[in-house]
Amino acid sequence: MNALLLLNSLEGFFFGSGKAHVVTGVALIILAGLALSLWRMDRRLGKLEEEARTDSH
Amino acid sequence: MKGGWNWFWKGGSILLLAYVIVRGFSTPLQPGLVSATPSQLTIAGQSVILTAVGQPFAETEDLPEAFEVVLRSGDQLIQTEVLEVSPHSVKISVNIPPSMPSRALDAYLFTPASGTLFLGNACFVEEAAKGDVPPAFIAGAPLPKAPELGFSFPYQPNIMESIRNLLWHVPMWFAMFFIMGLGFVASLAQLRTDSIQWDMRAEAAVKTGLVFGLLGLATGSLWARWTWGAWWVSDPQLNGALVTVLLYSGYLILRAAMGDDDRVGRLAAVYNVFAFVMLVILLMVLPRYTESLHPGKDGNPGFNSYDLDNSLRAVFYPAVIGWGALCYWMYTLRLRMNRCTHHLLSR
Repeated sequence: MNALLLLNSLEGFFFGSGKAHVVTGVALIILAGLALSLWRMDRRLGKLEEEARTDSH
Repeated sequence: MKGGWNWFWKGGSILLLAYVIVRGFSTPLQPGLVSATPSQLTIAGQSVILTAVGQPFAETEDLPEAFEVVLRSGDQLIQTEVLEVSPHSVKISVNIPPSMPSRALDAYLFTPASGTLFLGNACFVEEAAKGDVPPAFIAGAPLPKAPELGFSFPYQPNIMESIRNLLWHVPMWFAMFFIMGLGFVASLAQLRTDSIQWDMRAEAAVKTGLVFGLLGLATGSLWARWTWGAWWVSDPQLNGALVTVLLYSGYLILRAAMGDDDRVGRLAAVYNVFAFVMLVILLMVLPRYTESLHPGKDGNPGFNSYDLDNSLRAVFYPAVIGWGALCYWMYTLRLRMNRCTHHLLSR
């Protein structure tokens, strides 16, 4: 292994060892968690807005 | 109908980002030469190993005759013989001439499948005399072969695999610009109408934009550590980005400090207009007039044919749309939250 690869051990190791798939999986899980929390917040706000509309009538 | 459209673009932003993550992390990097061993050569026959990163440029069963390597000194080419080829390296034999125009040698590797790989200042010959390369050492004009690269990201020296960060760092700043622009328009409208509705829009935009600004700083700092070797360098673009984020933090501090004062909306709107003008000056104008490590500076456009190729564009543009839509979704949630809070407080 050359000096640059030793210095920057991520290069080559990332794909050679299959760690890229782990990173992809973790990123997808974080995205799914973010999407779920935004979706739940969206629905709750929808209910609050509905209640506010009912109040004002 | 409106609800269906709403879920279409919100779900679409998540699907686009999922595509960006999968495509961004699974696409191979085009091969690129990173080193020559040994790099200090003497005037004699010797062997040198050129090493590459990225996807393999050769199959294990490929014959050395299919590859060609020349070393360039100044404008003259020195011939070599390819001895061995492996997927990520090539071993050559070279006779170093006693004289050459430059002691620094660039290496060109011509491959059948991956095109031409280049390494600038690959080797140095301390003891070579200044002069022309003797005719016996000069290489004939090589015949570059058309590359047959599949869907792959371009190799850039120093950046290498970290080019994938382009799909995170840049779209996050674009999203921040977009949402801060909305906040700017809302503040102008607030100043014209003195309506709390516009004030709430501006506040929601700044809060959302700050999240993306901080994410942009974090991903940029990580990238700088990898490519420049430091988490932060004193650079007009980086310092401008930090000052911009601090300016917008000041907007929130101003609002918090004024509490329920009736003038908070107008004062915050004036501040926000000022902050957006500073954002444009600090991030888009000043860095273009100064030298910088950051791409796209010193008068050059940010993205050109050297920085992006079609494979990268096919993932980068969806990333811009995906991050932008996600940012807008977060902005609408923050705005609706502001409206609900206002409704509860005014009952």
